[in-house]
Parts: sequence; structure tokens; C-alpha cells
Amino acid sequence: MERLLNLDRRFVYLVVFVGITLALLIDFKLPVSATANVKAVYDDIESLEPESTIMISFDFGPSTYTELGPMAKAILRHCFRKDLKIIAVTLVPEGQGLTQTILDEIGSEFDAKYGDDYVFLGYKAGNEAVILNMGQNMRRAFERDVAGTPIADIPVTRSITSLSDLPYVIDLSAGYPGVEEWIQFGEERYGFKLAAGVTAVMAPDFFPFLQSGQLTGLLGGLSGAAQYEHLIGHEDQAVSGMRPQSVGHLIIIAFILFGNIAYFAGRSKQ
Amino acid sequence: MAFFQRTLPLAIAMVAGLLGILTFYIPVWEEFETRSAIWFRIVFAFAMILGIHSLLHMHWVKVRRQQSGWAYSAITVVAFVITLLFAAYNAGAGPFAAQNLKEGGLVRAYDHIYVPAGATMFSLLAFFIASAAYRTFRARSAEAAILLVAAICVMLGRVPIGAAISDYLPQFAQWLMDTPNMAARRGILIGVSLGAIATALRIIFGIERSWLGEDRS
Repeated sequence: MERLLNLDRRFVYLVVFVGITLALLIDFKLPVSATANVKAVYDDIESLEPESTIMISFDFGPSTYTELGPMAKAILRHCFRKDLKIIAVTLVPEGQGLTQTILDEIGSEFDAKYGDDYVFLGYKAGNEAVILNMGQNMRRAFERDVAGTPIADIPVTRSITSLSDLPYVIDLSAGYPGVEEWIQFGEERYGFKLAAGVTAVMAPDFFPFLQSGQLTGLLGGLSGAAQYEHLIGHEDQAVSGMRPQSVGHLIIIAFILFGNIAYFAGRSKQ
Repeated sequence: MAFFQRTLPLAIAMVAGLLGILTFYIPVWEEFETRSAIWFRIVFAFAMILGIHSLLHMHWVKVRRQQSGWAYSAITVVAFVITLLFAAYNAGAGPFAAQNLKEGGLVRAYDHIYVPAGATMFSLLAFFIASAAYRTFRARSAEAAILLVAAICVMLGRVPIGAAISDYLPQFAQWLMDTPNMAARRGILIGVSLGAIATALRIIFGIERSWLGEDRS
């Protein structure tokens, strides 16, 4: 029994590796249904008038791309399909390259024109101070977009002078600066509706903000992204990622149960 | 000397802290608030330079003294220099043009090294979590057993396989998140916020001075 309790960790790694690889290789369907928090984001975007301008803050880097990348793509697809105008920003330096790649990929899918349909303002140092500045005066926070064009000359941003002019902001965040900063320095002061997409481990932290109404909706992890893909009827990376994730969870649960059985069996023998 | 080392920084912290609070509540000072946020961003940018200097200095010293793991430090320094050169070259546009995010060495290094390396680091978590859960997650007491059952329900309920097992699993997982989890989080949040307010006031009024490098308040 002692040997079972001290199972070689390489064996655990091997089982996880084989399980996840098989789930990636074998195609099987799992039922995906949206929770109320994910549906709320979808409904908010649906309720916006076409041509409305919204902001998406891509506050994540490569390490969390697996979870937040598919989420960003699903939301962008929905926005472009609804003919919404998008202002993209990032508050983290490592988010700049990823944001550009995602915008280019989804923008080209919908033949969206840079400047007319979406714009990327890039990264500015200062964390919450950038949010505050965008609320006070958008052009003092971001004078130019990433290509160096003054934002006053870009059709999407021409009429936007403050965060107050935006009906909706979505923050896709993997930590600091992120959702809490957007609530404290953005939503509370400038009165726009705020939704968030965060990694699975972060999601439980934001449930109080959902109940208080400071967040109108929340997407948590790859599962939240899969639910959103299901809602927009474009099942992609996140939905197919549910197979290895489900199998991974099952394997971890099996190991927990196995470890407990071995523990209690050993204790009863003693 | 004590004036510059102690009195002046304390006075700056007090004035900046009080003005920060007052401008939040007095709308007439909005212009000052805008300017102070811009100052903050400038200070933040300089802090990044300081951070870069500190990081490079630490790793360079490690390489020079050939301390254990110095090779990793050498890779850090070399990677930093190469990335900086790529960024300055900016696909031929030079360091003063808007950063080219579509082509060039920086984009290639980002897409083909940084992004896969970041994803790899994150995906390793699955292996560590499985191993750690197997070794440590034991129902040794009633509380631990409740935690274990709740964790299993949430783990199953948050992925589609939970709904395939039973329709009640996702609902129960959502209830766990919406009610017990939220109550606990709210309590933690209120406690942390009160603590942050108390610490901020202690710094503003010069009671807490550890940020000056002093050991005692």
C-alpha cells in the first residue's frame, strides 16, 4: 500500500500525457451548453446596435493564450458579424503581438477594414493610470494607434473622446492589470457596461462583481470560450479543446480517488 | 542628508497620497487628476527601465562569477540583447518609427519562440496538478472530505463531460461557485480592501516606512 501511495510521478505524467494525446487525436462529441454568465455577454453584444463602437482590452500574454486566445477570437467573430466597430488595446507589453495576430486573423475572415471596422491602439505603460487617462481624455492616453496614425484621423476612434462614449467594454485578462482595475478606474467612474474573460483559475474571484452588477457577464477559461463558440454557432479551437480538458479532469479525479482509496486501505490495515 | 533620504520622500508620499484621494472626490480638480495619471505613467516607464537594469545586473553578475545556473543567466542576457536589437532595427524602419507588428525579427522571435515557450510552460501545469493532487488531496478530516467532494463536482461540472454524466452536475457546480465560493470571496475581498486602505493610510502619514528601506515603522 505504501508503494501505491508513493507512486512514481513519472507514471502520473505518462497517464496524463497518453490520456490527453488520445483525446486530441480521437474525435468525439461532448455536449456544450452555455452558463448564464457566458450567455449574458452574448446577449449584451446581441443587444448593441450595428455600427456601435466597443472596446476590447487584450490584457494577456502567450502563457495564457491557450485559454484566452480562443475566447478573444469567438468574441471578435461575434462583434464583426454584428457589424460592431472595435477598439483594441492592451495593458500588458507581451500582449501587443498576440493582439495584432488575432485581429489580423479574424479581421481577414470577415473582410474587416483596418481603421473603418477596427483599430489597435497598442500598449501604453501605466496599468490603471492608462484606464484613468482613457476615461479622462482618450487622445491624451493614446495619441496614435500602433501604425502611428493619429486616432483623431481614424474613422473608428474619431468620435470617441472618452471611455464614457463607449457602450460596452470587454476585458480579457490573465492577472494584473485586469478586471479589478477596469472596474475600479473604468466602469465605476465612466459608466460603461463591462464584461470580462479570464483564465479558469481566476474566474471564482470575480463572482462577487457579477452579483453586484459591476460585471455584466463572465467567461471563465477554455470552457467559457467553448460555450461562447457554441452560442455564436462557430465551434472551433475551444470546443475541440474540451475533449482533452475533460479527459484531463477525469484523469486527475481518478488519481485523487485512487490516492484516497490507497490511503484509507493503508490506514485500516494499520 | 536625512532630509533627502527620509523627510523629503515622506513629504512627497504624503502630498501625492492625499492629492490622489482628494482628486477622486473633488471633480473640480479633474485636470490635476489627468496630469497626475500621466506623471504616474511616466514614472512607471522609468521604473521599467530600472527593472531592466536590475534584471540585467543580477544576471550579468551571475555569469561573471559563474555561479550555479549561470548558463541560464547568459541565455537571459543574450536573448535580451537580441530582442532589443530586433526591436531597434524594427524591420528596417528604425527605433523611432511605430513598431512593426506584422514582420521582422521581433515578430518572428515572438511568434516562434516566446508564444510556444509560454504555452509550453502553462501546459506543464496539467502534469504538476495531476501529480500534486494525487499526493496531497486526502480526505483526512470532515472539512477535507467536503472540500474534496466540492472540488470533484466543480472539476466535472465545469467541463462538458460533467453534463454528459448528469445534468445536475453543472447546476451543482454553478451553485457552488455562485453561493459558497462567492460568499468566501466577498469576505476575502472586503478584508483585503480594508487592509489595503489601512496600509495606504499608514504610508501616507509616515507610520509605515519600510518602503524607505527602514526595518522598523
